[in-house]
Amino acid sequence: MNAINRYKEVSGTTDRADHLWRYTPWRKVHPTGDIDTVPDVNKEPKIRLINLDGTEITKGISLQKIDQSGEVLPDVDVVATTFLKAVSENSKWVLKTERKFVSRTPILLEIDANNDIDSLELILDIGEMSEFEMVTLIKGETKWMGLLRSGRIGNGSNINDITVGLQKKGVLLRLDSISLGRDANMNTGTVSSGSQRTKADLRYRMSENGSNLQVLGSILSRDDMYLDYHIEIQHDAPETFSRLKWHAACGGKSRTIGTGMLKVAKGSTGTDAAQNFHNLLLSKDAEADGIPELEVSESNVVGCGHGIANGPIDENQEFYLHSRGYSKSDARSALIAAFLNSTLTKMGSPVLHGWLSKLLTSELEVMNN
Amino acid sequence: MESGVPLLEIRNLHAGIDGNQILNGIDIEIGPGEIHAIMGRNGSGKTTTANIVMGHPDFDVESGEIKLNGKDLLELESWERAKEGVFLSFQYPQAVPGLQVGNFLKKSVASINGEEAAKGKKFRELLKNSMKELNMPSSFLSRYVNDGFSGGEKKRFEILQMMLLQPQLAILDETDSGLDIDGIRTVATGINSSIRGTDSGALIITHYSRILDYIKPDKIHVLIDGKIVATGDATLATDLEENGYDWLEEKVRRGGD
Repeated sequence: MNAINRYKEVSGTTDRADHLWRYTPWRKVHPTGDIDTVPDVNKEPKIRLINLDGTEITKGISLQKIDQSGEVLPDVDVVATTFLKAVSENSKWVLKTERKFVSRTPILLEIDANNDIDSLELILDIGEMSEFEMVTLIKGETKWMGLLRSGRIGNGSNINDITVGLQKKGVLLRLDSISLGRDANMNTGTVSSGSQRTKADLRYRMSENGSNLQVLGSILSRDDMYLDYHIEIQHDAPETFSRLKWHAACGGKSRTIGTGMLKVAKGSTGTDAAQNFHNLLLSKDAEADGIPELEVSESNVVGCGHGIANGPIDENQEFYLHSRGYSKSDARSALIAAFLNSTLTKMGSPVLHGWLSKLLTSELEVMNN
Repeated sequence: MESGVPLLEIRNLHAGIDGNQILNGIDIEIGPGEIHAIMGRNGSGKTTTANIVMGHPDFDVESGEIKLNGKDLLELESWERAKEGVFLSFQYPQAVPGLQVGNFLKKSVASINGEEAAKGKKFRELLKNSMKELNMPSSFLSRYVNDGFSGGEKKRFEILQMMLLQPQLAILDETDSGLDIDGIRTVATGINSSIRGTDSGALIITHYSRILDYIKPDKIHVLIDGKIVATGDATLATDLEENGYDWLEEKVRRGGD
């Protein structure tokens, strides 16, 4: 059965009672709203792999177009996944690193999407003991962008993986379905101030001992943006560690949603996991939800916690900055930037952080103007 | 500055918060180069006075005047007061995770003393020397504002800001609280070097006479129930340390001497 038929078999099975679809029904993120159809996608986004400083990438990492689709985690959402596989039929890529690939310069995977509908399936095949930082930058003026990333982070690898959403308008449907190998360390961050509507379902599975995962979000929503992120972290092996720290600053009439699901399987002893959502409300019309949930089936864990905080800019912080000469608008900008920076700063090296900070500053300027 | 005009003039200040009156007619006058101290029990109105001079929006001034070099501060927003030269060292400085100390200091100096003052060798020298004087390592600059700072680090950081901003009037709200003796001495050195021999002035709010051993104030004011009930020289602090506030409260109850 081809990908389109596979999707058509399951297209109507999303359930608003599911954690994933509770806030944003599938038809709202489908390219046409007619969920029984798969639109023809003849064109594909431009994609290139370079170093973040503009130089050519070094040997040991490659980006290649392929024919076959990637393996996804067993419990992914079947509707969104099969749909993305169907619309990405002509744009399937594998990003592969050799064993012990090391790059001290952050790598940029740029996706420039300017067609009516753009979609991409990207398989990450990260070799053992690799060490590098990568930014996946989504930009352009497409009306609808889909990105499905699947794959595995090799044993003992150390990866900073940041996805930046700067799509000017339209819808972004983004799925991650990634497993971590033994003793692998992954920092995966999302920096977003683009697309009018985003639906993201980001799933990570620690299926081997000793892996470490940090999922970070710096989300800036403005105007009438609607950004819905679902993050699911599964501990399926002993001595695994995860942190989810998600910061969203919401202005204008925008709405952000962050739902988290932390699953600890029976036998995952020594798990240490926590998730935290923090929303900063910048206007009276902005709306933010953060819903962390836990399913812990193992009692012998270090800890499994969750928290949520919503609120406006702290008046005492504001007064502190005013007392140091910051005007009302300067203090507000500085506090929004600081709020987003407190997760941004954990995403990678000083070079990467500097690049991300600059980008965020210019996005904040757009918001303030 | 006109000659003869006080640096800070507070006249008959009545103020409060959320409908509760806290200050019941305060008068203080600080001249250029003078250091004054306010002492008093918890809840007597010391921190309220500091916040009102700095322009905290939560407090309501019912009547009275606050002038800096003859200029009405009550007409100004808090950041405008900072630009006029008012500096408040907070009792509990706010943490701002994500805002780097180095960037914060540069922006503060640029906002208050102009862009040029925050650039170049002169600024770097001032920063380096001030940090050295306060025993602060350069790694401090890459931390986030008051985030994870110990009590002593927070107070040192407040004094560092004062030294860089070079205010006309420094209000130090319990800057000595939570500091050990070495810390008090270091902070006192910073205060003395910023105020003594300049046209600036300082108002030190404290519970204890220890810091006043290192910074000899020109005047000490005692605040009880939102009113200054006694003003004296440095010996008043010793009297209070030895005898507490009861004798003054009794004196107030009896209606003076």
